[in-house]
Amino acid sequence: MSSRKRIVIVAKKEIIEFIRDWRTIVALVLIPLLLFPLLFIAFPIVMQNEAAELDEKTVDILIQSDDIESTLVEMIENQSAYITLEPLSDDLTTLSDSENSTEQLRNLEYDAILRIELRNNTWYYAILHLSTSEQSNEARSRILGVLIQWEEDLTAQRIESAGLDVESTLNPLQWDGIIADGDVATKGEQAGMILSLFIPFVLAIWTASAAVQPAIDMTVGERERGTLESLLSLPLSRTELLLGKWLAVVSITAVGVTLQIGGLLFGIAYLASDFIDVPSLSIGAVLLLALAVGFYGTMIVALYLALAMRSKSVKEAGSVLTPITLAMIMPILLTQFINLDDVEMFWFGVPFVNVLLGLRELLLNRIILEHVLVWVFVSSLVCLLTVRYAAKQFHREDIITTKS
Amino acid sequence: MEPLLRLINVKKSFGDVQAIEHVNIDIHQNSVIGLVGGNGAGKTTLLRLMSGVYRPTEGSVELSNKRPVSEMRSVLGVVPESTGLYSKLTAWENIRYHSRLHGIDDQLAWNRTYRFAKLLDIDESLHRYTEGFSRGMKQKTALLRALAHGPQILLLDEPTGGLDVTSARTVRQLVRNLKNEGGTVIYSTHHLAEAQQVCDRIIIVHNGLIQADGTPDELLGLTNTKTLEEAYVLLTSETARPRMEDTEQPSNISKLWRRLVTPSTKMEVNEDE
Repeated sequence: MSSRKRIVIVAKKEIIEFIRDWRTIVALVLIPLLLFPLLFIAFPIVMQNEAAELDEKTVDILIQSDDIESTLVEMIENQSAYITLEPLSDDLTTLSDSENSTEQLRNLEYDAILRIELRNNTWYYAILHLSTSEQSNEARSRILGVLIQWEEDLTAQRIESAGLDVESTLNPLQWDGIIADGDVATKGEQAGMILSLFIPFVLAIWTASAAVQPAIDMTVGERERGTLESLLSLPLSRTELLLGKWLAVVSITAVGVTLQIGGLLFGIAYLASDFIDVPSLSIGAVLLLALAVGFYGTMIVALYLALAMRSKSVKEAGSVLTPITLAMIMPILLTQFINLDDVEMFWFGVPFVNVLLGLRELLLNRIILEHVLVWVFVSSLVCLLTVRYAAKQFHREDIITTKS
Repeated sequence: MEPLLRLINVKKSFGDVQAIEHVNIDIHQNSVIGLVGGNGAGKTTLLRLMSGVYRPTEGSVELSNKRPVSEMRSVLGVVPESTGLYSKLTAWENIRYHSRLHGIDDQLAWNRTYRFAKLLDIDESLHRYTEGFSRGMKQKTALLRALAHGPQILLLDEPTGGLDVTSARTVRQLVRNLKNEGGTVIYSTHHLAEAQQVCDRIIIVHNGLIQADGTPDELLGLTNTKTLEEAYVLLTSETARPRMEDTEQPSNISKLWRRLVTPSTKMEVNEDE
């Protein structure tokens, strides 16, 4: 029997055993598949509901002024606001001085306080509010909206009374046509730009977290359950055993990542098509994307299998792999901040970071040969090293009763 | 007659600890050989050397007709002490997994399995998950798994450990049947009475050394005793060492850390009281 066949037999058995647990199916299939569509559906609904709820609310506003115009008060009242008017206090250093009014806002007596005063033909104002209260923020935003409108009317009146044309005075410089038409990037390229921030993040986080459980279960878990010894006495080399298990973990992780990215693209294409398009990528970019994902998966899974096999118990393996998974956020964060237009070559030599950077470039449909060559070379080397390290752990004689 | 399997001057050590030394054993066809010894004697290490899980530190383990050692695993059927069954697979799936890795056709493996399952009275449970199996059923399933590819030598590590009287009897009966069909079984146990019932040759292992190797009558003659128990006590009079697992040391970092976080528990005896 060929070595390939034995590897497939091991992988098949591992996958069957893994998916027999219904919780695995929920974690592996349902959550990644539904996460983004649900986010795309739920987010707008929740945000719209919250906004509508706030719109319907009547806010309490205290206006402190000695000379406010009745038109302005009416305009604020029309924004579903209860108005209380009182004169300005004499002991204020500036209108923003909140010392005397803090309690009124903190105990929610008023949602916002507008102070306004006319000095030398100029209106001075301040809005006091409590930024940690949604309702106070809403009251402030309604006042601001009204003030902007009132200011525009006032400005127009003053320009007109000076004998000038309002439109050409206020907007002496104007865009001609549709602003979006000035961007030469296609909608697909723009989508690639947005997704280049999303997809490497999803891929890295999901690969790192989804591989932990199967990697532990198939190595130290197998030893703890006492199934490893009988397996090692079969006509199956330890390298074949490692590759079988590696194939199983990679397959399980790949299903999760593919479903999650599928869910993301579905969400974009059908639920958020007004905001973002499906990215347009060349065949070369797609193939290189697959290669980059393959490298990333190989490195992570081989490393996890090795560290899990080194561990004395499932508990110890969990303690080792959990911080490593969290540490994987570092390269992800790094790649989010690197400017791709001016990226230094050495970043493509940094393991893990290089693959994620490569992914970002490819999602922008940029195939820069020197970059690709460096990340492919370095990643191949790191893959080789991690697989060799894993093989070394699997070839240890004491793996049945491992003491690391 | 040329032996099926030979252990020639085998020594196995784990770091500084000598697990077994100076082991020379010839395993001939159509025999049941009992490896008898206390906990930590080296029985499991010997079985793992025979199954190729461990490599000898010195000496060699050889198959008959100068066949390569890589072939060894194909001619062996192994039942480890833990049985090693996957709980989320059915009994048959467990058996089929191993037989497929042995390169055996599913139908052939099923025919063999069903025949032995009938003998062990487990044929009705072959398509059940092993998760809810009793210790006896697990042991029987592990036996079926070891037999499905038709091994020349069967290695059994404490096969009746934890079994009820009826199940233990069934397992012993199966071993005798296999011998009658020309099979070879190596049977590790720490029960002398069981070894006497089942085995036609007994190897007494103590502190990693072979203390005696022969038929029950030969052992009695060698020690000039009347019972095997007396012979065993005489041959293993030296104080037994701890089990191998107990001698494993934690890493230096672990030792240092434990020293830092473990408060002293030393107490002094108050002799005035």
